[in-house]
Amino acid sequence: CSEDFTDLAPISNRNEADFYNEPEDFEVAINASYAGLQSTGTYGRGYWTMFEMRSDNTDQGPDATGLARQYTEINSFTEDALNEQITSAWSDSYRVISNCNVILDRISEIEMDATLKNRVTGEALFIRSLVYYHLAIGFGNIPLQLTPYVSGDELVQVDQNTVLEQLVTDLTTAEGNLPVSYSGSQVGKATKGAAATLLAKVLLTMGDNGAAETVLRRIISDYGYELLPNYSDLWGVSNENNAESIFEVQYISGGIGQGSLFTNDFSPSTDLQTGSGFGRNRPTISMLEAYEDGDLRFEPSMGATYVNLEGEVVEARHVRKYQSDLAVENDSDINFVVFRYADVLLMLAEALGETPESYDLINEVRNRAGLPDIDATTPGTFEEKLLHERRVELAFENHRWPDLKRFGATAKVIEAEDFITSTKEFFFIPQREMDINPNFNQN
Amino acid sequence: CAQYDKVEKSFYQIKMGEVFETVTESTGYKFFYEASEVDVDRRVTINGKNLCIQDFLKEIFKGTDLSFEIIARQIVIKKNRKSLPSLTPQSKVNAENPQANLTGTVLDEAGIPLAGATIIAKGTSEGTTTDFDGNFAITLPAGVTVIQVTYIGYKAKEVNVAGQTSITVTMEQDAAALEEVVVVGYGTLAKKKVTGSVVSITPETITEVPALTPESALIGQVTGVQVQEVSGEPGAAPNIRVRGSGSISAGNDPLFVVDGIPISRNLTSSSQLGGINNRSAAFQPPTINPLATLNPNDIESIQVLKDASAAAIYGSRGGNGVLLITTKKGSNGEEGVFSFDSYVSMQSVANKLDLMNAPELIDFTRDARNNAYLQAVDGASVDDPIGPGDRGNANYELPESFLNWDGTDTDWQDLMFQTGIVQSYNFSYASPIRNKTSFYASTGYFSQTGVIDKAKFERYSILLNLNSQLTERLNLDLRLAPTVTENQRVPANSPYFGTPPGIVYSGIVHSPTVSPYNPDGTINQLNNQSYLGGGTTTASNPLAIIEAVDDKIFQFQTRGNLGLTYDILPELSFKTFGGVYINLFNQDFYRANTLLFRNSADGNPYGQASSSTETNWLWENTLNWTKEFGDHYIDAVLGYTAQRDNLSLQRVLANNYPDDLVPTVSGGQVFGGTSVKEQWSLLSSLFRVNYSYKDKYLFTGTFRSDKSSRFGQNNQTGYFPSFSAGWRMNEEEFLADSETISELKLRVSWGQTGNFEIPNYGAVGLLSPQNYNLGGNEINGLVQSTIPNPNLTWEKSEQVDAGIELGLFNNRVFLLADYYDTRTRDLLLNVAISSVSGFETTLRNLGEVKNTGLELALSTKNFVGDNFTWNTDINFSTNKNEVLSLNESNEPIYSSGSAGVRHVTRVGDPIGSYYGYVVDGIYQSQEEIDNAPLDTQAPDPAPGDFRFKDIDGDGEITPDDRTVTGSYFPDFTWGINNRLTFKNIDFSFLIQGVEGNEILNLTSRHMKNGEANFNSYAVFNERWRSPSDPGNGYIPRADRESGNHGNNNRPSSFQVEDGSYIRLRNVTLGYTLPTDNLFGSKIQKLRFYVTGTNLFTITDYLGYNPEVSSITTNSLTPGEDYGAFPLTKSFTLGLNLKF
Repeated sequence: CSEDFTDLAPISNRNEADFYNEPEDFEVAINASYAGLQSTGTYGRGYWTMFEMRSDNTDQGPDATGLARQYTEINSFTEDALNEQITSAWSDSYRVISNCNVILDRISEIEMDATLKNRVTGEALFIRSLVYYHLAIGFGNIPLQLTPYVSGDELVQVDQNTVLEQLVTDLTTAEGNLPVSYSGSQVGKATKGAAATLLAKVLLTMGDNGAAETVLRRIISDYGYELLPNYSDLWGVSNENNAESIFEVQYISGGIGQGSLFTNDFSPSTDLQTGSGFGRNRPTISMLEAYEDGDLRFEPSMGATYVNLEGEVVEARHVRKYQSDLAVENDSDINFVVFRYADVLLMLAEALGETPESYDLINEVRNRAGLPDIDATTPGTFEEKLLHERRVELAFENHRWPDLKRFGATAKVIEAEDFITSTKEFFFIPQREMDINPNFNQN
Repeated sequence: CAQYDKVEKSFYQIKMGEVFETVTESTGYKFFYEASEVDVDRRVTINGKNLCIQDFLKEIFKGTDLSFEIIARQIVIKKNRKSLPSLTPQSKVNAENPQANLTGTVLDEAGIPLAGATIIAKGTSEGTTTDFDGNFAITLPAGVTVIQVTYIGYKAKEVNVAGQTSITVTMEQDAAALEEVVVVGYGTLAKKKVTGSVVSITPETITEVPALTPESALIGQVTGVQVQEVSGEPGAAPNIRVRGSGSISAGNDPLFVVDGIPISRNLTSSSQLGGINNRSAAFQPPTINPLATLNPNDIESIQVLKDASAAAIYGSRGGNGVLLITTKKGSNGEEGVFSFDSYVSMQSVANKLDLMNAPELIDFTRDARNNAYLQAVDGASVDDPIGPGDRGNANYELPESFLNWDGTDTDWQDLMFQTGIVQSYNFSYASPIRNKTSFYASTGYFSQTGVIDKAKFERYSILLNLNSQLTERLNLDLRLAPTVTENQRVPANSPYFGTPPGIVYSGIVHSPTVSPYNPDGTINQLNNQSYLGGGTTTASNPLAIIEAVDDKIFQFQTRGNLGLTYDILPELSFKTFGGVYINLFNQDFYRANTLLFRNSADGNPYGQASSSTETNWLWENTLNWTKEFGDHYIDAVLGYTAQRDNLSLQRVLANNYPDDLVPTVSGGQVFGGTSVKEQWSLLSSLFRVNYSYKDKYLFTGTFRSDKSSRFGQNNQTGYFPSFSAGWRMNEEEFLADSETISELKLRVSWGQTGNFEIPNYGAVGLLSPQNYNLGGNEINGLVQSTIPNPNLTWEKSEQVDAGIELGLFNNRVFLLADYYDTRTRDLLLNVAISSVSGFETTLRNLGEVKNTGLELALSTKNFVGDNFTWNTDINFSTNKNEVLSLNESNEPIYSSGSAGVRHVTRVGDPIGSYYGYVVDGIYQSQEEIDNAPLDTQAPDPAPGDFRFKDIDGDGEITPDDRTVTGSYFPDFTWGINNRLTFKNIDFSFLIQGVEGNEILNLTSRHMKNGEANFNSYAVFNERWRSPSDPGNGYIPRADRESGNHGNNNRPSSFQVEDGSYIRLRNVTLGYTLPTDNLFGSKIQKLRFYVTGTNLFTITDYLGYNPEVSSITTNSLTPGEDYGAFPLTKSFTLGLNLKF
């Protein structure tokens, strides 16, 4: 009796000791990894803070207290290692990685249907790689944890290239394991195309343009994506997971913790019927000026003014790609598009360098935006023209800061933008991690 | 009654004195009486075969004017009060008699003269005291024939001296005082035999200050016990700490044992106690107090077991000290006693904050905007237009309502606060013993309305305690206490940006230029602080928050227990005790559509309904063996107990309410819910032995083993031993004749206790839902949320205590001193681990904390007389808390409270010390800035900004220069209580104080930040303005963009304020009506009193309450003030009636 009396297992919580045993368990577990991509520190806020606000695309509005102050610091390169936005980007990212690590570790020991096992393994490798890509670009020197953490494990920082090399291996496996597409209620999960797009991006970052070209051509020929005829059809709740879309972080409203923050975060103050607009991630003047006359992408991407609740037109730049009708504050239906086909085309141009085919690829994207062709005679270097095109085409989709770094343009652009000149290539490793791991080197 | 309590003899016409002797021989009962009152030569006849001693005595005294009382096997015979010679008729008769001189001697039972005994001529103020030889002389006024003789430790005595000129009075020791018995857990013990540190609190103390909760009766009264009123909210739990805090992550609350049922504060999980789903954890209101269900009037005694020797019998739960609460029993007397106690209090906020008025705020704001503007814009001038839009940045401009002030100067504090009313009615009956059965029954109603509108707490309580001697050997004790409490909570304990926003904080940040109401009388929500614009921060109207938020909690709690005691032998008894505690909890929360959150134009209604059932049962079996042989006395307890708790909670959440017509979840769309089921169990064996030799050498040993479901499979059982010894030196021959020293006891103890206050499944790796969605549908996801730890085990405290008890002049002066040293090891610690692991923390046993302290309590009976008495109790306690080790590398633990990392727990400092930069003065000139160490955290400092200290001396101010800036732990606490009586008037006052504690005033972040984006503390009127006008020297300049300049608002010593205080806790004036004359004998006592509570507090602290601690659930982040419910002062009128 005494043994049983004090042996009480949880009732309304699952216990890890009796999970990760059945094939179904892994389906449930991998769903939580996808959900990790919704968190505040990842796509919710962290990644646009790291890749858009840090760049010349956006800044923080005039509000300079509280949370806004932390954004301002990130925007102006004055943040310290205690910045909570960066700290949460780090910890939420590793939370996703940890869940993937547990899945990969446990699934390898289980006898189960090979197709399902391959697919879940591929999904976990893709999600882990996607998160590691952000950490590698953002922080550079990070611990590369690939197995479940065991208490007392010594953590060692590795450089960016070591991380990227691991991603090449993992993404190659993932691309092999994953299906080309899903149907019905599975749509939205990671595909071959998603893994390949990230793989190409990693290869470009490593400077291996030849390998990147191979991967990109495979995406174009084998995986069936196409540009939508109208740029504006890419956006809005009804256009999610379309033919151009390669991978999206899925959000739905309904007060079940699955809604996104983007609509509230990006709307200018007081123009929302529901809750507050915070005017975060505000496009800069240079972003506004980057659009050529007649660019059809401007209208769906950003606004320079808005009509407030009193019906007055107010000047305030803001991102429009993630607007949706809101029933409840901070519970928007809108997805975040991680990869889409236009990026693949532009990456192929980047991998090829200045060739006629590259201009064709750029022009395919330009023409849809209602803009005329460019070619070698158009003023500016090829890199400048490509970088400009990427900026406008992929504005506010978390590409700008990695692009600037890949093109070696950070210093130039940032000086031009009158940011505080800084050599800060990477974010600080969060102070918390520095305190806990005395062997870490600060960036 | 038991066999050995029976008289087996019959008597026929035997002298009473001889009967007494025979009875003493056969039963061991001793008789005490005043020879002049009892006629020992009276012959009595009685058939005593098989009569219980009580019935036997009743038979003897039938028809006489004598009654008796049995106290600890002593029979005290006394004359019935009613038959005492009444003064009134006699004085008439003797009206013309001349005054008489009387001399006499006062002796004790052994014939030794008593020095200092008081003699008073009854009914007059004429009195004297005996000299060193016990002699006295008194002149009796005309008509007085009775004197009253009193002496400490002896029974008061009245002697009829009519016609005498010289008498000898023999005083009788007060058996009750000598044999005072204390409850020690699983039994009782004569106070003189106690070797641990145990403090008793009498009912007098408990009901002296109209106590809102039983714990608050202890404020300032008991050494080593700190009770902090962290919130003035009705029904809120005070913070209570016995000898400091030993634990870092597990609870630091003592164990409460109410009538034998152990009730932990967090027996009930915090999720159940008022948690609102979308409210950030740091902004939850303080937990509801489970002890608030206890009616203070029903409490017979509270014993505090302070040291490990006393608490070790509660093993794994004794580590934070134990409070044993015992409720009242039936009357010992011949007749039942009805009592009616009632009071009404008016409460108001104890103090108002000193905030800026409208002109001051406008001046401050203008200053802040100008300073920011001048520093940011080249060529800017103070004289540039400052209206909206004039300077191109709202932070440099004044809002329209400041620029053209319309004269509105609202005092938001006056608007928010009202007078709260407390009402308490209690009616009880203590029955006499009839048919071997007695009972105590009471019913009470208590209601408290808060100083903030809507806040309310009500209690309806019933108590029935029944004791019956079922058979000769079998005793039954039944206790039943159903209580209903209803609580209306208000969101007052959170900052202005919490959800819902904090009422108090929203009010105090509100600009006085804003009118609270619209011209049509509705609450102003669209033209308030939220809409000032121009770089001011937004806040909701506090009146709107009060109106819009409903948070009703209904609880039905029942304590019930049944104890059966069987006397196997005269010295051996077996007790089986079953107890149950049931708590049915219902909460309805609704945030109405009408509330506009800060600058929202639309409401965001939200509803939540929670209900839970908790049942906790306990079964204890104990064997008690008590034996006295010769000079030896042994008292031993052996027990086996089992306890189990089941909790089941359901919660439903709703939003999208179309309107506010139906404020329950059925009025909106249900969008979520949870169901939680948890259990814990505890299986224990216990043993205690008390041994004493000649009442001189005392020894106690205890041992308990506990096995709990909460710990890891490998480490479920813990063992908790303790030993203590005492030496009553006053029993030694060399002190036996001492006339000064009446009691001198030395005590030492050592013991181990534990702490099991961790989550129910802390050792298990739990999975939590983390769902995703595909194709528009939610799909299930699960992720591991805690790391399993099969080795998780008890936190163990090891305490050494040395104490001395010294009584002088028949205990007229009593000094109690204790020194203790507690080491708490294997701390249950949520260790911060690298988030690379996927987790932020993991629960492990690590580290060690030390608490050392000195406790002094001095009780003096300064003046003892029949007409005038004056007693003083002084207590003084110190406690030093120090972390000795934390983990392998002793890395400090940095903790985020409500506003980022501002606490550190590190080796050498107290737990949860405040952490930040240290302000080192104010820069007076640019030159000073240039010469100072470079402040990397200040982008562009200017004269008037803070100079921070370079702690590590590396020539730069960096995050490494943050250090400990204070602690919530006081250096010492003290209290002085004086009780005076003069004839029918009683007067008492209690002054208490706390010295050396600091408060982390987080409201400073907004109201003392110099940015003038809110209303601010008036101290900023004395800010630095220029080198020639430097203000009071510690307030920096006004600067709207301080963050871009001096960064004055970083976490620093500027936000840490001294929380020391001196408080007039209580003043009471009472008047007892001379009932004999007024109502005859029907009424035993009628007393009226007035009491003032918390009438004044002397402190430098800027906020409402220098004991505030907003986060009550985390030991690592104590002492934050982030918008707390203010403390109240009250004025009470009450009456006590007994008949």
